Amino acid sequence: MLDGRTADGAAISLRGLEKRFGSLAAVDDVSIDIESGEFLALLGPSGSGKSTILMSLAGFERPTKGQILIDGVDCTPLPPHKRNIGMVFQHYTLFPHLSVVENVAFPLKMRKVAKSERIRRAEAALKTVRLEGYGQRAPKQLSGGQQQRVALARAIVYNPRVLLMDEPLSALDKNLREEMQLEIKRLHSELGITVVFVTHDQGEALTMADRVAILKEGRLQQISPARELYERPANLFAASFIGEMNQIPVDYDGGVVRLGGGQAIALPQEALVQPVPPGKAVLAVRPERVRLVDATSADALPVRLRDVVYAGAGTLVIGDLADGTEIRARIPSADSADLRAGTTLHMGFPPGAMLLYGGGAA
Amino acid sequence: MIAEFFRPDGRHLSKAGITLLMLPFFALIFFAFLYPLVSLLSISVLEPQPTLENYRKVVDNPIYLTVLLRTLWIALLVSLLSLALAFPVAWLMARSKGPKVAFITACILLPFWSSVLVRTAAWAVLLQRHGLINEGLQLIGITSEPVRLLYTQGAVVVAMTHVLMPFMVLPIYGALRNIPADYARAAAICGANPLRTFREVYLPLTMPGIIGGFILVFLTSLGYFITPALLGSPQEMMIATLISQQIREYLDWPFAAALVGVLTLFVTVITLAFSKVFRFDRMMGGAA
Repeated sequence: MLDGRTADGAAISLRGLEKRFGSLAAVDDVSIDIESGEFLALLGPSGSGKSTILMSLAGFERPTKGQILIDGVDCTPLPPHKRNIGMVFQHYTLFPHLSVVENVAFPLKMRKVAKSERIRRAEAALKTVRLEGYGQRAPKQLSGGQQQRVALARAIVYNPRVLLMDEPLSALDKNLREEMQLEIKRLHSELGITVVFVTHDQGEALTMADRVAILKEGRLQQISPARELYERPANLFAASFIGEMNQIPVDYDGGVVRLGGGQAIALPQEALVQPVPPGKAVLAVRPERVRLVDATSADALPVRLRDVVYAGAGTLVIGDLADGTEIRARIPSADSADLRAGTTLHMGFPPGAMLLYGGGAA
Repeated sequence: MIAEFFRPDGRHLSKAGITLLMLPFFALIFFAFLYPLVSLLSISVLEPQPTLENYRKVVDNPIYLTVLLRTLWIALLVSLLSLALAFPVAWLMARSKGPKVAFITACILLPFWSSVLVRTAAWAVLLQRHGLINEGLQLIGITSEPVRLLYTQGAVVVAMTHVLMPFMVLPIYGALRNIPADYARAAAICGANPLRTFREVYLPLTMPGIIGGFILVFLTSLGYFITPALLGSPQEMMIATLISQQIREYLDWPFAAALVGVLTLFVTVITLAFSKVFRFDRMMGGAA
């Protein structure tokens, strides 16, 4: 995972974590094992419990149940200032009455490091985030991206073995965000630190993390590497939360699915991420995997076009199946020149593109 | 016509507009403050003839210097006591939300609905020989007979603190409210325990509010009149009472004016000293 390098990061184990606010469970029985040196993203809509998990890791929230082990040591009852964890917050939270270098040296001051030594180490940390020579400035004199880099330097200056990040890039504009994503990735591989990163931006999670944990209403939905998450989502929520997904209601008889319009499609065994009982099911296909096919093709499904949305390189084609189910296809614009709304064409799903989930649509 | 008071963009005031709006304020400052002050100070050096004799009288007689020093001392006590009482209230306010803030604010501002005179008289009622406090002390057996509470320096300090404390609460609250909650978390995760978080983050960031409140209360205390006059001991006079006495009982305007001159000098020096050490422009800006 870290190119064979020995990692310095701590292994983290969340065991049956639960946090209740009154009758509401913000985090509901979440267990995650994070490897030493891993970069884990916690992804979910607001209210999914991702921030509560991070705050519990930091010690700002006391879980109602469960344990947090860092390198095998139970730190559930430890207050934040005794955890020796680095953290970067959504807003930069640099102390305005201290200069940049004093901000970075602050954790060392709390650890009673001698003044000359802490200035030296703070300057070194600033160098790591490429802000050499900015030490004497006031935080206010720096741009948003620079301030967040100072916050990053402050979080790593005492060599913590865990770095927590709470949507650290959400306050930055798009270009800066991409630059900072690379910067954080670089730091992660340089330092070998274990990173837990909260975000609601799926692109960010897929780009940066070794593994992504998807949460919904306090429950863990899936935890997988990015590719697996996108190509073989564990359930319909994960499937629809990451990227776009066509969801077609079908009847499943154990080998063949029957669409509302009567067409039957034989499913390969890989289409089942988890066992699906015969009966009502949902056939899921990513729009970019849908193909336009000839009417004579064996898997051809007639689709009545509703909209053709040209967007440069690709074109989004929206239409209805025979039973009225909406279906979307993303095709190269070069193939879409003569498509018109109101006409009927045929679409097909390659065998490897189909996934089947039990129950109703999400 | 109105257009002339705005800049062409229609949103910002023009110079003429700003001048017009500021005019009443400057007129008030000039006629109600600067003009009387300057004429009073000119009396102190011009009457009965051009002389520094009035100032010599202030300096020569140790009684007057004692009054001045006592005034500074009481003002300092009141300011420190207000600070000690106001900080927790401001802290609570900054930590509360919605109706709780409104309730605390109401508690702080409610006394302003009655005049200072009424509030001072209330203390006289409480502190008198057979007042609530003396009776209470005897009831629980701390004292066996009435204690002299009224007409003491203590009574003056307590009552002045009661009246002036709101002026300490509001600036401190303003400074505290501007400190994002994330700062405490950032400090904690950096390894600061709650006490150090307070000392290293909250205290420095609240300092402008503390200084602001302190100056407000201290300077107001220096010139305070009604409370010391009604609750204080005649033997332990404060300077405002002394000035009033010189004017009303001895009709010695030149000497009273010289006392005003000395008080003004002290206020100016103290204010300048404060503004030198703690910059005023930062005081108004708060933590943000």
